[in-house]
Amino acid sequence: MRHRSGIPVPVPQPAVPAEALAPAIDDPADAEREAGVARLFELHYTPMLRLAVLLGADDPENVVAEAYYQIYRRWRRLRDTAAAEAYLRSTVCNLTRMRIRHLQMARKHAVRSPDEMVASAESTALLRDDQRALIDTLRQLPTRQREALVLRHWLGLKESEIAAAMGISPGSVKTHTARGIAALTQAMEARK
Amino acid sequence: MNDTSPDRTERELGEALAALADGVRGAPDAYSTARGDWLRRERRRRLVLAVLIAVVFTLATLIGLWVLNQTPSDRGVIFSGAGSTSGVLASLPRTLPGCLVPCASAV
Repeated sequence: MRHRSGIPVPVPQPAVPAEALAPAIDDPADAEREAGVARLFELHYTPMLRLAVLLGADDPENVVAEAYYQIYRRWRRLRDTAAAEAYLRSTVCNLTRMRIRHLQMARKHAVRSPDEMVASAESTALLRDDQRALIDTLRQLPTRQREALVLRHWLGLKESEIAAAMGISPGSVKTHTARGIAALTQAMEARK
Repeated sequence: MNDTSPDRTERELGEALAALADGVRGAPDAYSTARGDWLRRERRRRLVLAVLIAVVFTLATLIGLWVLNQTPSDRGVIFSGAGSTSGVLASLPRTLPGCLVPCASAV
């Protein structure tokens, strides 16, 4: 298989044979899309799942699956694999933000279910006490600040990359990061 | 140096995020599940699109037929062809400015 940029791209073999899931694909463009998305899935699924968890998504698998569906639909408009990764990251950020906003609206009208609290506690069970406190404080920050901090301190992205992923200016990224760190520092000081 | 300085917070935050991320593992059948869902949604999307196009086409055809059916069936005055054999069509007498009745020169 040859990618649009002219660089040969190895086609990965998905865990489940394609013919077991759907009829054979006759269109070469569709076959290229299937192979490209499968390769992206193999390369980036776990990091994207982790990103969704760190951003505070309550159903990270669905968020990431939706992000991959978006890229599956828009595959022909994609420039290259690097653009695909950035696009996925941005989509995961946006979908998680929308999901959190939806949950916040829903929680105004309903009491938080015990299942959600158990799921949240499970994800932080392996952390030390101070790390758990830090993560809990991080989850209470405004969404934009949390996104900026996760993209900066977990993925190690540059300000311009964070700005592209969040759809804001680099100056705003700087502001969100500084405010987030200040809030976390203050919370840690208050805890001691 | 202060123990709770922003630098220390940043370092601790990085460690906490890395520790939390390490505990996250994708399901082994995630690809097959997700792909089945994409294909199902794509099929449904194409089906909805096809139905929509068919509905719009049918509506447009029906509206066109109805409009054509509303036209009067009697012969019109423009192409009556009465009184002319040289290509100059007969027209009604027109009123010119200054004439209260149709002027003879206008005919």
